[in-house]
Amino acid sequence: MAFHPRRAVAVFWKDFLDLRKNKGLLWTMAALPAVLVLVPVGIVYGYAHDPGDPSLRTMALFYDPHVQLSVNAARFLIDKTLTDWFGLYLIMPVFVPIFISSQSVAGEKERRTLEPLLASPVTAAEILAGKSVASLVPAVALSVLAFILLCVLVDAVAWPFTHELLLPNQMWLFGVLVIAPLFAFFGNGVAVLVSARVAEARMAQQLSGLVTLPLIGLVGGQLAGLLKAGTVYYAVEGGVVLLLDAALIVATVRLFDRERLISRWV
Amino acid sequence: MSAIDVSALTKRFGQRAALDRVTFEVHSGEVFGLLGPNGAGKTTTVRILTGLLSPTEGEATVCGLSVRDGGESLRRSVGLLTENPGLYDRLTARENLLFFIKLNELEPSAAWMRAASYLARFGLAGREDEPCGSYSKGMRQKLAIVRAIVHQPKILFLDEPTSGLDPEAARTVRDAIAELAADGSTIVLCSHNLFEVEQLCRRVAVIKTKLLAVATIDSLRKADPVLEIHLAGDPARFSSAVASLPFVPEVSVSDSALRVHLQREDQAPDVISCLASAGARIYSAVPTHTPFEQVYLDLIRQQEVG
Repeated sequence: MAFHPRRAVAVFWKDFLDLRKNKGLLWTMAALPAVLVLVPVGIVYGYAHDPGDPSLRTMALFYDPHVQLSVNAARFLIDKTLTDWFGLYLIMPVFVPIFISSQSVAGEKERRTLEPLLASPVTAAEILAGKSVASLVPAVALSVLAFILLCVLVDAVAWPFTHELLLPNQMWLFGVLVIAPLFAFFGNGVAVLVSARVAEARMAQQLSGLVTLPLIGLVGGQLAGLLKAGTVYYAVEGGVVLLLDAALIVATVRLFDRERLISRWV
Repeated sequence: MSAIDVSALTKRFGQRAALDRVTFEVHSGEVFGLLGPNGAGKTTTVRILTGLLSPTEGEATVCGLSVRDGGESLRRSVGLLTENPGLYDRLTARENLLFFIKLNELEPSAAWMRAASYLARFGLAGREDEPCGSYSKGMRQKLAIVRAIVHQPKILFLDEPTSGLDPEAARTVRDAIAELAADGSTIVLCSHNLFEVEQLCRRVAVIKTKLLAVATIDSLRKADPVLEIHLAGDPARFSSAVASLPFVPEVSVSDSALRVHLQREDQAPDVISCLASAGARIYSAVPTHTPFEQVYLDLIRQQEVG
């Protein structure tokens, strides 16, 4: 069965158009990056606004008992916040494809559009490819845009104190450009798999959303001082997700069988 | 020439048989009715014939292509209207149709011209840039028909095309199907609406997991013709005389008329002679046929008893 890229592009075009017109979903998608950008900016502003606050030294010693007296506690906490926050920021590239793919895959069943679609010449692989790209492109684009906004706002609020640009740094650039797409692929794969098993888009979103819990747990560990985040730490996370992505590709290709879809979904 | 050839088609989902050795053929250019109660296997049959499901046993060819390995070529040859129109509500009619034009890899401008002419024919011209979510049920169903035929399929499958529509919308959809039939399209119509089937189809297959009958509607109705005779006086007085005729299986009295079941229509003059000999004064004798609905229900009940 030959793969026709034009048909996969047609599926992408249709899903992208549908997403553009889905105001509710767009607002939901916009809420997540807004929170993930504004919260760290607020925290950095808090540290930069009053760097002489003596309680900052206590907080710095909690995270690192060996922190030198010569090290400015406010700067230490700003750097730590920006490093740890990347763990939470990764929720965005996971969650956005979950929002989109659950709507576009399980939504086809809910809206009863799957049968006419499968009765057309398009193959299951082309549907899968088109829908995945329609989910990944907005997720990665949103992640990059949110990162640019984060850089601008963090540097704006920290500049009076640091007199240097804090972002972008090497870890965030590596994270946003390499690790975030891997996580987006993971979110999309999970949503597609879950959508194939459940009846409604909402249920698919809720169940797929559970995959973010380990991420939140890891960040909890970082904030509790149990885990020390950094470029290597996030690269290991990315490596694990890369392996999971490979497993998801195998599973989704096996699952996206026309007969299985029609007898299970319609 | 057969457009569709179905031979001992069987489909099982686990232990449950949805179709059991069903055999029929559909001729090119005819409107063929596929009838049966809910869960009879009509939709499963359509899904197999449109390449969405594979049969467990048996074989079927559509436009000469096997449903087992016809794949993409088979799906290009058929158009499918599902019971629910399955439109993308946020997209406009134009966007919905362009999506399927792209999936069929048609030349966009020529295909759109064709789609636009169908839209005009079905009364949807000027509404193509409105979201489908704002369409009425009848408009949605007509748009779904346009989507099913925009790639000029050789065979069109219509699954309950007027289900859930108000009488006016159902009429316009029926008219649209009749127009396509007049153009010589081969159409397979699944419907519970026997009035609609009588209007549009010449031949039908009645299935209930198994094939119960496949014939023209006329021959199914003529299988048991009835002579309705209006007489002076009480018609019951003459029922025993008519019942004594060897070719009369059943005589009944209803609405002051004698209803005489015949084996063939040409037996009617013998019944009249018999009544005249018995002294009956006959006002009228009209050969009628069992209503198609009754024929259908009898077939279903016979299978249930069997």
